[in-house]
Amino acid sequence: MFESTSHEHNLLARASLDQCVKCTICETQCPVMAVTPAFSGPKFVGPQAERYRHGESVDHSLDYCSSCGTCTLVCPQGVKIAELNSVARAAMKKDHMPLRDQLISRTIMMGAVMRPVAPIANAVLANGAARWMIEKVVGVHRKAAMPTAHTRTFASWWKKHTPAQSATAGKVVFFHGCAGQYFEVETSIKAVEVLEHLGYEVVVPPQGCCGLPLQSNGIFDTARGYVKTLAERLNIADDVPIITAAGSCAGMLKHEAHEIMGVDDPAVLRVGGRTREISEFLLDLADRGKLPLDFSPINLEVVYHVPCQVKGQGMGKPALELLRLIPGLTVVDSDATCCGIAGTYGLKKEKYDVGQAVGKPLFDKVRDVNPKLAVCDTETCRWQIAAATGAKVVHPVWLLHQAYGLS
Amino acid sequence: MKRLQTDVVVIGGGSTGIGVLRDCAMRGYRTILLDRADLAQGTSGRFHGLLHSGGRYVVSDPESATECASENAILTRIQPEAVERTGGLFVVTDKDDPQFGDRFLAGAAVTGVPAEEITVAQALAREPRLNPAIQRAFAVQDGTVDGWQIAWTATASARQYGGQALTYHEVTQVHHDGSQVTGVTATDLKTGETVSIDCHFVLNCAGPWAGRITHMAGLPPVAVVPGRGIMVAMSHRLVNTVINRCIYPADGDIIVPIHTVCVIGTTDHKVTDPDHLEIPRQEVQQMLDAGEDLIPGFRQARAVHAWAGARPLIKDDRVAASDTRHMSRGMAVIDHSTRDGVHGMLTIGGGKLTTYRLMAEHIVDAMEEQLGTPHPCRTAEEICPGNEAGHNYLITHRLKQREADRMESPIICECELVNRSMLVQLLTEQPQASFDDLRRQLRIGMGPCQGGFCTSRVAGIAHEQQVIDEARATGLLKLFLEHRWIGLWPILNGDQVRQTALDNWIMEGTLDIAHLPSPDDVEPDPLAPMSPDPRTTDPTSTTSPSPDPTANPEVSSRSTTTTNRRARGTRAASKETK
Amino acid sequence: MTDTIIVGAGLSGLSAAIRLAQAGAKVTLFTFGLGGIQLGQGTIDVLGYSLAGSRPTPADTAITDPFAAMSQHLTGHPGHPYATVPLASIRDSVDWLAALVPDLLTPGDGVNHMVPTALGGLRPTYLIQPSMTWSNPSSIAVVSPRQIKDFYPRLAAANLTKTAHVDAHGYHIDLPARPGEVDSSPVAYATALDRSDFARRFVELVANAIADEEVIGLPAILGLHPDTAESIARALGRPVVEFLLPPPSVPGMRLNVALTQRAKDLGVRVVIGSKVTGFTSAGAKVTGVVVAQAGRDQTYPCDHVVYAPGGFESGALTMDSYGGVRETLFDLPVVGATAEDLITGDYWADQRLFACGVAVDSAMTPLDVLGQPIYTNLHAVGGLLAGAVRWTEKSGDGIAITSAVRAADAIVSPGVTPTTNERTR
Repeated sequence: MFESTSHEHNLLARASLDQCVKCTICETQCPVMAVTPAFSGPKFVGPQAERYRHGESVDHSLDYCSSCGTCTLVCPQGVKIAELNSVARAAMKKDHMPLRDQLISRTIMMGAVMRPVAPIANAVLANGAARWMIEKVVGVHRKAAMPTAHTRTFASWWKKHTPAQSATAGKVVFFHGCAGQYFEVETSIKAVEVLEHLGYEVVVPPQGCCGLPLQSNGIFDTARGYVKTLAERLNIADDVPIITAAGSCAGMLKHEAHEIMGVDDPAVLRVGGRTREISEFLLDLADRGKLPLDFSPINLEVVYHVPCQVKGQGMGKPALELLRLIPGLTVVDSDATCCGIAGTYGLKKEKYDVGQAVGKPLFDKVRDVNPKLAVCDTETCRWQIAAATGAKVVHPVWLLHQAYGLS
Repeated sequence: MKRLQTDVVVIGGGSTGIGVLRDCAMRGYRTILLDRADLAQGTSGRFHGLLHSGGRYVVSDPESATECASENAILTRIQPEAVERTGGLFVVTDKDDPQFGDRFLAGAAVTGVPAEEITVAQALAREPRLNPAIQRAFAVQDGTVDGWQIAWTATASARQYGGQALTYHEVTQVHHDGSQVTGVTATDLKTGETVSIDCHFVLNCAGPWAGRITHMAGLPPVAVVPGRGIMVAMSHRLVNTVINRCIYPADGDIIVPIHTVCVIGTTDHKVTDPDHLEIPRQEVQQMLDAGEDLIPGFRQARAVHAWAGARPLIKDDRVAASDTRHMSRGMAVIDHSTRDGVHGMLTIGGGKLTTYRLMAEHIVDAMEEQLGTPHPCRTAEEICPGNEAGHNYLITHRLKQREADRMESPIICECELVNRSMLVQLLTEQPQASFDDLRRQLRIGMGPCQGGFCTSRVAGIAHEQQVIDEARATGLLKLFLEHRWIGLWPILNGDQVRQTALDNWIMEGTLDIAHLPSPDDVEPDPLAPMSPDPRTTDPTSTTSPSPDPTANPEVSSRSTTTTNRRARGTRAASKETK
Repeated sequence: MTDTIIVGAGLSGLSAAIRLAQAGAKVTLFTFGLGGIQLGQGTIDVLGYSLAGSRPTPADTAITDPFAAMSQHLTGHPGHPYATVPLASIRDSVDWLAALVPDLLTPGDGVNHMVPTALGGLRPTYLIQPSMTWSNPSSIAVVSPRQIKDFYPRLAAANLTKTAHVDAHGYHIDLPARPGEVDSSPVAYATALDRSDFARRFVELVANAIADEEVIGLPAILGLHPDTAESIARALGRPVVEFLLPPPSVPGMRLNVALTQRAKDLGVRVVIGSKVTGFTSAGAKVTGVVVAQAGRDQTYPCDHVVYAPGGFESGALTMDSYGGVRETLFDLPVVGATAEDLITGDYWADQRLFACGVAVDSAMTPLDVLGQPIYTNLHAVGGLLAGAVRWTEKSGDGIAITSAVRAADAIVSPGVTPTTNERTR
């Protein structure tokens, strides 16, 4: 009678609406509500509207929610606001998913398709006329930040790679994520080299997409399959930490698969509990006095922006703390809520302006502090900030890599 | 003094009285209905919201079962907007006798109540929160019904035929010359004016208060035995289907998803005074335990409000007077011409909201029999005004409406999605309305925050519309919060404690409403107790030192206020709410 | 350097964090969501009313000098949080906080100020934001954009005429915070008013709407930036006073942002979105707290814990469906929890439930039923403490700050703050 995406099956998030006391804290922090009245806000579409839902979502403006998760993060009462919204959107879109949402959600497909012909793909994406066509046909805004495809993948580098030193500190699994495989190859390489520099034996099992882009676009069924397959592949041994430089994919494994899509697969839960964003892993070492602090100075001032999906993991801003250990480096906290991309939200033609408005305070700060370089943990946020400001935006591990003298 | 002439006076604006008003008016009688409070403010607004399929009575009361089944279909057709076709389940829990299910199915077949056994897996797929340990499940055609909407749209229908409903009119005398009823005297509680109505017939539909009316008429006592039942509303719909326990009728045997909440009911205790309906904590515990049997985790879910209603039962010699549940809920009509030698008066007891129309039909038939002027009853055929589209209520309706108009009118009550234009329209139509009157019609303040965020907005808008002055605005605001508290404090636990603390931070902490000037008696309080109830003495009054009334003149006025408030606050559940 | 973990980011948690960081401690603050400062009025209450158990009524007189009134108040309220500290420390603590955010809070002058509310009452409080100064004007124009649903200037003005004996008039202007909006939040206005173009239009409309009243009353929406209200007043050429609104409180947000920033600037590590769900202990010491992070529980070792989770409004204190009252993290004994009639049917009476809480000594160390410290390095502060219904007496902020300062000082200089109660109850 009810589909598996129906609200009735998402008891976890639905039950949490009881905890809402209407206090308005989520509304004051929602980055989308701040820039457009078209979105009725997290309290409205979350715990309020949920009381009026029974298998269908009649409030179509909920699609303005970017799923950044800020509302859940700031809620002092434990209401799973963003999760409620994600489920409601999945129900709303079930029968009329735009082609665009399906297309940009399949990162592997995009990366894999673009890679062999990368120069052509990049030329097409850089070409205004072609982008206009894409906007008309597919609904991706012509100015939206799109990834740069590379001719080599992380896998092709890994195949030829041998560690510079022998392992002394134990084994870790490296989870590169789709972007780390196809678009953000340098970040993956630097992360592996830093881990190996610290004496870890890095293992890279075959992997796949975590399903996050599909989930954020409400395509739950396929996403559930993706995350389960991925978890099985990463789950090589119970005591091996899984390290990643893909912060948002880490969030998917750690909690979103369970809390938004109701995945209870044991492999997913086990893998989620062992997954660490690389900065989180390294800061934990530092806190316990086990991280070598023999950094070379980097005399720079940069903005660091913590992505929503990293913030949502409830570990604070480990990259900020970590980078502040590098001598000479002045790290300015962006103090911005969201860059506006929110996964794939800011790519869409009807959301592009909203996304740009959301990101404006952050872009202004980057231009103000250092218009050439900024730091951020997740790839889509980096693409967004780079496209808006012209700055080169790197993962924190790039600076650590440099400070350890590896580049 | 105002003097009116009419054929029939109906006393009592509950569903029965309103049904009678409509039926009389449609049969061509000039009819006036009087109620000392708002429409459906008594029993008809204080039940759990079930539109019976008849399933509840297939074993215990087959005749009622058959009536329910046919009236369910009629109301769903003539007042569709008030009805949600949720469907119902009768479930045999692990604590119940599975054999009862066989009696249930057999009874359903005999009474013509549609019922079908489904598998436990099917029941759980339909309602995932249901106790997985249930042994059997039966699907029936239960629905849910908004008693207030039933009352208003039936009244609107009556008005089309010239029927009048005068609310906040308290009957003070019923006149007869020893053999024939001649009229009724009432007081307009909002203006204080006396209203005298000449009539040929009085239909006493005062439900649990019916005995008071016959007493006023100087007739021998009628034994009305009010049976108090409490209901507890949970903050959202834990189920979307009516869940009945498949047992012989008992306490806590049903969970009803109505509007945005779901309601567990109910208990049954004989009371002497329907104006004093307590919500004992012990009975609340009983409801929560019963909820736990049907939905595991029920106790951790958020209870937002409780209320108590009085069943209007007439004493039946077949059962003990203390066992009100097993008295006939079918109606009882007392003809005072045969009983007391006074023509032109009938007293009605019993009944249930699902069969209100049928009851009215029987009563008006009985009246016409005495008058000797029979007319056909057409109330089952004609659709009530505002229901012409024929759509039944859906939980998604208000969300859809606000999605369409939220850029045009601000949402004032965020829990129940009431916007400013709905409020302004009603204030224009009913400038004398208290905030509780508005609530019953709009659902303002009935959601999880229980008025914490919307009440001051309502006060501001009513004042801005120049409907009321600032003293009345402040007074109504305070009164509304006092009334909400009546249904809040008996169930206060868990998440609702957090809400209450925040509401107090806003009302007391930020807005400091207690120190705003307001009149002591802002609103006629027809359901106020005639004398303080000794059972519910405020424990704090004995320990807190009273201010010395001679110390300064302002203090003595304070102690008066305090007394009034205490009286209101301890009136337990005599305000219906949900 | 000591490692202190603070649990909670309300006024008491932030105060403790700042005080400790100022003293050089290494501080990590865990908060489940945003703290509650922006749900309050954005001023600092110390003590506004002393009602000796009676219900509040319009005839009550507000306290003028909260420090002078304190002794008598505490006599009537044994077990009050203020009764655990030296009286002088209350004023010192509040003054210390005021000095942290000098452009946001006016320095304390020993007496309460009256501030106007959305409904036109005047409410006592101790430290105000400069934009809230009530100068006992002879006339006031109360003005608001029509698009704010929590402020009705005509009602506020009509009530003010009675409560403040002022010639008050209410006016509306038509100015949505964003074009086309019918329902603009105070935060949307505050953000817009921080921009000079919008502020100019606002000033123009307000000036056109009013007559020649002495003072202009406006809803508390005058910018998130501390200077916005003053520049609007300057442009209007008349004194401006902000009226307190229900949440979201723009003045509260100003205070929250300023204090949070202050804490971060002092090196406090703020971790939001993680609930502290457990702790580890050895004997009478808490050795660490367990934080439920995404996907797993993480234990953070520490030397001291300042526990500042709030009271019943946050769920740190709960009452379950059987009526059982508990403190949810450390399972500290809750004073008053077993009394009869914790909740009564009188809406206007203080409910005893809301005075339940944790008992502490003068170092804010929670005490067991025998009056002995439970964990010597655990300090409970703010809304968790037993003995006061804060919204009635208007004392929550002072209790939060004073207890936080006492706890921080006890951690930094354990010898200075006596560990036994120096006041006899």
